[in-house]
Amino acid sequence: MQIRVAFFLVFLLLGVSQTVWAKKESTTKAVQPRQLSLLRVNVTGQGYDYFRPWQKRAPFSKRALGAVLSQGRVLVTADLVANQNYVELERAESGEKMAASVEVVDYEANLALLQPQDKKFLDGLSPLELASDTAVGDRVAALQLEQTGALVVTDGLVTAVQVMHYPVEVGQFLTYRLSIALQYRDNSYTVPLVKNNKLAGLLLRYDPRSQLMDAIPAPVIAHFLKDAAKPEYSGFPTVGFDYFPTRDPQLRKYAGETGNGGGVYVTDIEPGTAVEKAGLQEGDIITAIGNFDLDQNGNYVDPIYKKLDFTNLLTTRVYSGDKVLLKIHRQGKPMQLDVMMEHRTPDEYVISPYSRDEAPKYYILGGLIFQELTRQYLREWGPNWLKEAPQRFVYLDRFQWELFPEGHRRVVILSQILPVNGTIGYEDFGYLTVTKVNGKDVHSLNDLAEAVKHPIDGFDRIETEEDPKVIPLDVAQAQADEPTLRENYGISALQRLK
Amino acid sequence: MQNGKVVGVAFQGYSGDIAQGVAYMIPTPVIRRFLTDIKDNRYDKYVDLGLTYSKLQNPAQRRYLGLPDDGRGVMVDTVIEAGPTGKALKQGDVLLSIDDHAIASDAFVELEGERVEMPEVVERKFKGDKVKFEILRDRKPMTLRIELNTVWPYQMQAHHYDTRPRYVVYGGLIFQPLSLDLLDAYQTGDPRVRHYFDYFILEQIYLQHPDVIVLTNILPDPTNTYLAAYRSSIVDEVNGKKMTTLNDLAQAFAEASDRFVIKMIGGGPPLVLDRKEVESARERIRTRYNVIAEQNLDEQPVSAQVSAKSEEPHS
Repeated sequence: MQIRVAFFLVFLLLGVSQTVWAKKESTTKAVQPRQLSLLRVNVTGQGYDYFRPWQKRAPFSKRALGAVLSQGRVLVTADLVANQNYVELERAESGEKMAASVEVVDYEANLALLQPQDKKFLDGLSPLELASDTAVGDRVAALQLEQTGALVVTDGLVTAVQVMHYPVEVGQFLTYRLSIALQYRDNSYTVPLVKNNKLAGLLLRYDPRSQLMDAIPAPVIAHFLKDAAKPEYSGFPTVGFDYFPTRDPQLRKYAGETGNGGGVYVTDIEPGTAVEKAGLQEGDIITAIGNFDLDQNGNYVDPIYKKLDFTNLLTTRVYSGDKVLLKIHRQGKPMQLDVMMEHRTPDEYVISPYSRDEAPKYYILGGLIFQELTRQYLREWGPNWLKEAPQRFVYLDRFQWELFPEGHRRVVILSQILPVNGTIGYEDFGYLTVTKVNGKDVHSLNDLAEAVKHPIDGFDRIETEEDPKVIPLDVAQAQADEPTLRENYGISALQRLK
Repeated sequence: MQNGKVVGVAFQGYSGDIAQGVAYMIPTPVIRRFLTDIKDNRYDKYVDLGLTYSKLQNPAQRRYLGLPDDGRGVMVDTVIEAGPTGKALKQGDVLLSIDDHAIASDAFVELEGERVEMPEVVERKFKGDKVKFEILRDRKPMTLRIELNTVWPYQMQAHHYDTRPRYVVYGGLIFQPLSLDLLDAYQTGDPRVRHYFDYFILEQIYLQHPDVIVLTNILPDPTNTYLAAYRSSIVDEVNGKKMTTLNDLAQAFAEASDRFVIKMIGGGPPLVLDRKEVESARERIRTRYNVIAEQNLDEQPVSAQVSAKSEEPHS
């Protein structure tokens, strides 16, 4: 019955849109905007080179679109402005340009707000409102611009709404999946999707072979905009635990579940997260979140999308600082937990999951390069980094909560060795995990910088988890090698601790 | 052959699916060693020191260890507890000579007029032979005599031939001890399994887990319909008891308990098996999948032949 109602609604929507627009435009079924709400965004930037952390990479430039919102704001994807040096807005119809600043950026939700130096620059463009009611079966239109500034409209069909990872792979958020034959344009970076002249989403990724697009949906954009209006941007709440379905009758019995109710089995609670503070335990069965009951696979019935992963209730539908009620069963006994939702920043990880706009830390001691292990560093091995990067580091990253449950620390690595007089015979070492320096525990690059101030009998003693276990460095020799390092390797500063 | 005498056994390297077109030859010292070893009709395999070492070519490192600048000595990094040097040597010891052959700082020694890497001295010896080391420990010279033996944890990372793999099948779940042959067969990308393999020796994982028991496969049956997600997990406990070997696991399943709660390493939900259900499925699984034996706990040779470890280079 429910399904029939949904189909009926879709039909109704299509019907309405056709009656309004059929006369003017017969080739596309989706709605076209009456006025232009787009402009071009040109970005020049430079990322950091994690293999040579003292320098930046070659500059890049990207050309994209921005969606004009009310109050002189322009919405783009965060990917576009990552590591930017200069952002410029360009009017498509006139070519007029103006510098812009990045007001708020959220790399996890992949959204950013820009503002032109002078808001008058946007005069004549019609700000987009949000269409937050898109559901499976709806048609939406992707907007692109021709070189001439003319609008290209491509019709697409929403085929699925699900909760997925975004590019930085931190958190899972609501995503629309569309079937759409998107055309290539040189400014396809941020492609807005509209429905009934309202902003329904932004392009997240597109696969030209299968013609499938994932889009950041309007509810995620609305969440971001509401947060961005606060004096301090807090970010989407972090879930902080893994779960397992409860379909297995033997696991249900073990967990004290009688009957055939819903709920998910909680595993691997990340230390320091909101759910841990609220008292959630491994083995608890979460049966409901707020007023929504979970089924045995962890889905709830969403008013718009019907069956959807419960993660949506903890990321997109709530805000950091909100209280969420978890109904749980602990060994069969019903309980309730109040969780004060929080956002976990990349700094709060032992091995930070991503880093943008930020120079990597490093410390060079007589040719030995020390860095803090981050996933950004591991990603330097390319898209296949999980297989290609040093496997030991991949393991540390993957199981960081299990290996460092106490948190509040970093993992310092000896990433590589630059040949100088003092490192003769050390050339085979690299990708080592530093445990101690001069007898002191090293839990951050700052610890290391402090420890090397106290050499023992003229030597810095570096201890590593892996062979060779101990690397002694002659302090006088290390100092003597400093000019060589600066000149031969073009390293202007031998450390960056921020 | 040369002048009617054997000078080596030739073979060709094989990289994945193409032959390399380069022939290698097993030289006479290796052949002679093999022939000597099997004189007693038993192959004892290669003995090993069971340690890792690094070269000592950095001047500061030499001064730090109290060594003169004479190009001699290597430093001990990790000593494998299960090996013959497990109790005798420790990290930071400097090995100066082996059986009175001076060890150069690049880890080479002169043996029968040739420069060979230090372990070669040991590889020509047999189980029970002794090796003499002159070492420097905390700047003090010492002489050690060590009786050589095989280092069993290395077997886990080596290929085995002509032996039946060990396993336990219970409720259609196949449990196998982690080994090189197993990884080759399963090609798992599971990061934990890979780590336990790579660091089995260096992180001395074998001390807690002489067998790293992996749930490798599931023979589908109504009793295990929901257990697919547990594949590639490593068994930690059964009913609260630590499982260190495959025998432990076989014994645990033989106990008359109502259910078996199998905890895996690294959290995640326990795998729960109801004994009655498993028992009722037993015949069904045996016949459907033609399971001849539900377990094989001993790595017995297929036949009584001498089983030789291959020494070809892995390419």
